[in-house]
Amino acid sequence: MELILKLREQVIEGEEEQVVELVKEALDRGIDVGTIVQDGLIEAMNIVGPKMASGELFIPEVLRCAEAMKEGLEIVKPMLKAGDVKSKGKVVIGTVKGDLHDIGKNLVAMMLESSGFEVIDLGISQPEENFIRAVEEHNPDIVGVSALLTTTLPAMRDTVKVLKEKGISAKVIVGGAPVDEDFAREIGADGYAFDGAEAVLLAKKLMA
Amino acid sequence: MLKGGIESNALKFLTDEDIKKIHQASMTVLAEAGVEIHERAALDLCAEKGARVDYDRNRACFNEDLVMQAVETAPSTVTIYGRGDDSRNITLGGTKVYMGTGGTALNVIDFDRKRRKTTVEDIAKTARLINGLDNIHFFVIPCYPNELDTEVVDVNRFYHSINNTTKPIMGGLFTEDGVDRVINMAAEIAGGLDKLVERPFISFISSILSPLKFDDVRTRMLMKISKAGLPVATSCAPLAGATSPVTLAGTLVQLNAEALSGVVLSQLVHPGAPILYSAVPTIMDMQTMSFLFGSVESGIMNAAAAQMAQFYKLPLYSTGGISDSKQPDQQAGYEKVLTALMPALAGANFIHEAAGQLDSGMTISYAQYVIDNDINGQVMRAVRGIEVDEYTLAAEVITKVGPGGNFLAEKQTAKKMRTEFYYPKVSNRTNYAGWEQAGCKDTWTLAEEVARQILENHTPDSIPEEIDKKIREMEPGIK
Repeated sequence: MELILKLREQVIEGEEEQVVELVKEALDRGIDVGTIVQDGLIEAMNIVGPKMASGELFIPEVLRCAEAMKEGLEIVKPMLKAGDVKSKGKVVIGTVKGDLHDIGKNLVAMMLESSGFEVIDLGISQPEENFIRAVEEHNPDIVGVSALLTTTLPAMRDTVKVLKEKGISAKVIVGGAPVDEDFAREIGADGYAFDGAEAVLLAKKLMA
Repeated sequence: MLKGGIESNALKFLTDEDIKKIHQASMTVLAEAGVEIHERAALDLCAEKGARVDYDRNRACFNEDLVMQAVETAPSTVTIYGRGDDSRNITLGGTKVYMGTGGTALNVIDFDRKRRKTTVEDIAKTARLINGLDNIHFFVIPCYPNELDTEVVDVNRFYHSINNTTKPIMGGLFTEDGVDRVINMAAEIAGGLDKLVERPFISFISSILSPLKFDDVRTRMLMKISKAGLPVATSCAPLAGATSPVTLAGTLVQLNAEALSGVVLSQLVHPGAPILYSAVPTIMDMQTMSFLFGSVESGIMNAAAAQMAQFYKLPLYSTGGISDSKQPDQQAGYEKVLTALMPALAGANFIHEAAGQLDSGMTISYAQYVIDNDINGQVMRAVRGIEVDEYTLAAEVITKVGPGGNFLAEKQTAKKMRTEFYYPKVSNRTNYAGWEQAGCKDTWTLAEEVARQILENHTPDSIPEEIDKKIREMEPGIK
């Protein structure tokens, strides 16, 4: 169990090489894959979450932790049985047509991923039909629509409108610098978050 | 946290040629006008050591040789110690920057936002507060205990400072025998006068008056302190337009003459005694005849004074981070940044008044200490400047991330983000919704919250009980 504790610690430290070594060592010692994943890797991320919320860890550190966890998971992936790793939900995310900005959207995507969501990132300047196609293809639980420019807010309004008219079951959430709670409500979105951490909380709330 | 003592010479208002011209002009002033000294023993000493003394006019004139000899014997670095904590020592000299509090205010804006007279409790509380604020590197006793009888003011001011912070302490004195009593008290804590002199955790201010005047009491204090071998600043505060020329250059000439005359007197008393080249250059508002502490001109002159002290290789007592505003508001913010940043970037050693002071030094505010801690942190970040090496140039990381990528999850980001940027305690830095969610608080309110929290939870190492008992027997007037 000491080894698992050490593994957890190294995930929290974001030391991916160490994590890979420790996972291999655990496998060599015959430790059960489920234990490695649940008590080592996933439990580490459960510790990381509150540390981020309290401000003790900064987001880039959390991303390092998530990266380390992912590297560890890669090794045991072939041995995993169904149910060993549970996704918190599936999210399709993209920036609306005419907007080439993506740092905010990327940050949200990375944070959702490191919180256990499966994320399909469509990228920048996506027309409405691409959002529709992605929803049909991936059947997500949540669709995230992003805009940074004030001038692309109409495109966000249109995208949300089309998704809603299609009657998709996924919840549609929006975000970006010019967006606020009032605008989100006005265009018929199911949720709004003002930063990456809030977006994770919102996604979890919608999945509950 | 950015520790004090980082070096900077990024800002230079004076060319080498300008510095020499100011030096020469000051030499002319000291040789021809000289300084007025109202203490006979000091005049006698000056005469004995080769100064031209006119007893009828209480004047002592110093030629360049005599001045430069004093500059030579004065130490180039002076260390003021943390009490029982060497990590808090400040080593003044060269271009090392430290920032701290200043005095002496008579009023305080308390947590109820009302202005009232300061008491001895405010000395204890400000000392405790700054002990918990990383970017305030030393404690100049900031206020006056209005409720006390004059004869116990000095011992109380120093006692409550020492008892509530382990950071280096400096203070002005209000009674002549206060010097001896404060030194005795500190010696008791240090385990003997020799130990105190060897590692002084207290130091003094004994002012010279502008223009060019030593009064009798402060001269005797200065001589006593220098004789004992404890660090002292002579706090020369020319008021451009009123007590010095209206030109910044002229004020610098006079300030330089005054600062050097303090060095001369201390070195005549005790060659090698720790003395600071002391600069408090200010201006008068010629429209209103108000004394101004937080002017941009003050900032410029303090930066120039740093260059002068560096020219003489003398440790500097300088001034910055101060405001004429009456409360922690916008004016306080910009005046403090302006007057702190300029001397700091010029490598000023001991930037006092750089925490808690408002109202041209007449009022302190608990919230303002917390705000100024953040200003100082950001100023010290600027002092640190840009570190350029292979790792920080990051060509490898830029190449790895490539066009269109991002640096959020890079190892370098996680490794350097806490030290490469400064993180203020009381700035609003989230987006609008985040600010609303946190209660729409302004800086003043946030600073009050931090100040309260420190005062409630922070307990510095106080004076050991045994010694404390002894001191209180020696000085029953201690509150």
